[in-house]
Amino acid sequence: MRVSPWVVPVLVVLAAALGIGGARFLAAPSFTRDYAAAGGGRVETVRFVVRGLKCVDTAKQVAGQFEEVPGVLRYVAYASRNEAQVTYDAAITGPRALRAAIEGPVVDEASGQIRFHQFQVVSLDGVVIR
Amino acid sequence: MARRVSTLQLSRLTLQIAVAAVALTAGVRLARGWSLAGVEKYCPFGGLETAWSFVTHRSFSCAAGELNLALFLALLGLTLVARKAFCSWVCPVGSVNEWIFRLVRRPGGRLPWEPPPGVDRALRWLRLPVLAVILFFTWQTGELVFRGYDPYYILTSAHGHEVKLWSYAILAAVLALGVVIPMAWCRYLCPLGVTLWPFSALGRLRLRRTESRCTACAACSRACPHGIDVAGGTEVRSGECTLCLECSAACPAAGALELRLEGPKP
Repeated sequence: MRVSPWVVPVLVVLAAALGIGGARFLAAPSFTRDYAAAGGGRVETVRFVVRGLKCVDTAKQVAGQFEEVPGVLRYVAYASRNEAQVTYDAAITGPRALRAAIEGPVVDEASGQIRFHQFQVVSLDGVVIR
Repeated sequence: MARRVSTLQLSRLTLQIAVAAVALTAGVRLARGWSLAGVEKYCPFGGLETAWSFVTHRSFSCAAGELNLALFLALLGLTLVARKAFCSWVCPVGSVNEWIFRLVRRPGGRLPWEPPPGVDRALRWLRLPVLAVILFFTWQTGELVFRGYDPYYILTSAHGHEVKLWSYAILAAVLALGVVIPMAWCRYLCPLGVTLWPFSALGRLRLRRTESRCTACAACSRACPHGIDVAGGTEVRSGECTLCLECSAACPAAGALELRLEGPKP
């Protein structure tokens, strides 16, 4: 069947739209870590967009930032979206403490060096901070 | 027919420039800290690189994500219909190579140098080991190891992560090679191109040459950036066809080359 050559760009645009629209059905985390069990308080989840969280390695570094934070239950990172989802015990901790942990100094495991300002929270639950 | 194809070619050029500009802007915005998302996010090859990690661990490699994978799957679907149209309509590396091809093409449509068909066919297999090495190391390490060598990333990341001085040397070599051999990167080295190749060979949109209308001038073959002998058969079956439609734009005989949607052959 003869077709117009214009069908080619139409198909290209359709494929791009399909890819962009269909991405959400393939969502999967880059990294996940579970921490200590809940202390019995209300369990909540907060979503941070973090400047500096851009790959699996940096996602692991962010996970390390929560090691010393009581009340953190689960951390899930989506590096391609620069996103960190943190589930926590609301009776023990809250978004402000979690943000402080993310933005705190980072100890590089390989070199032992301390790095400041490696991660910056850009938004919290969709609300832009900076 | 000729005027319509010209408009089409102009549209294609516009789309190529727009995609390249968007990719460059995204790279600069990321480099300047104005944005968190770079150009990698939209690279379908990243989807292939992370496919193994997704299938085995339901997670993504390095900075790759669901958008890369979804765009890769959509690209496979597109290729099954419209051949490697992505390469000539969207891919910024393909665009740059094609612009070089246009610059070096001599009057009358002759190419600076077209490798003999046997050499050309043999060299195209080079893409397979390139693809195998990239996938092996990406799947082994979980890192996007190709970044520093990837012309797309080097071109558009505004000196992004893992781009070193030698990366620019590679980019310069790739572009210089394109001056000597048309579309050298796409033909002989592109790992995404070789991935799409078998799907493209099955692609249903095909250019058909009607012999009764053809003047046998072979302008179509000379116009093909990928060195396909369009005039040598009645149908372009090559998996290398990118549906750039340069051949039909160059054809002086109305209706001699037509795009057709073919059903599966028995």
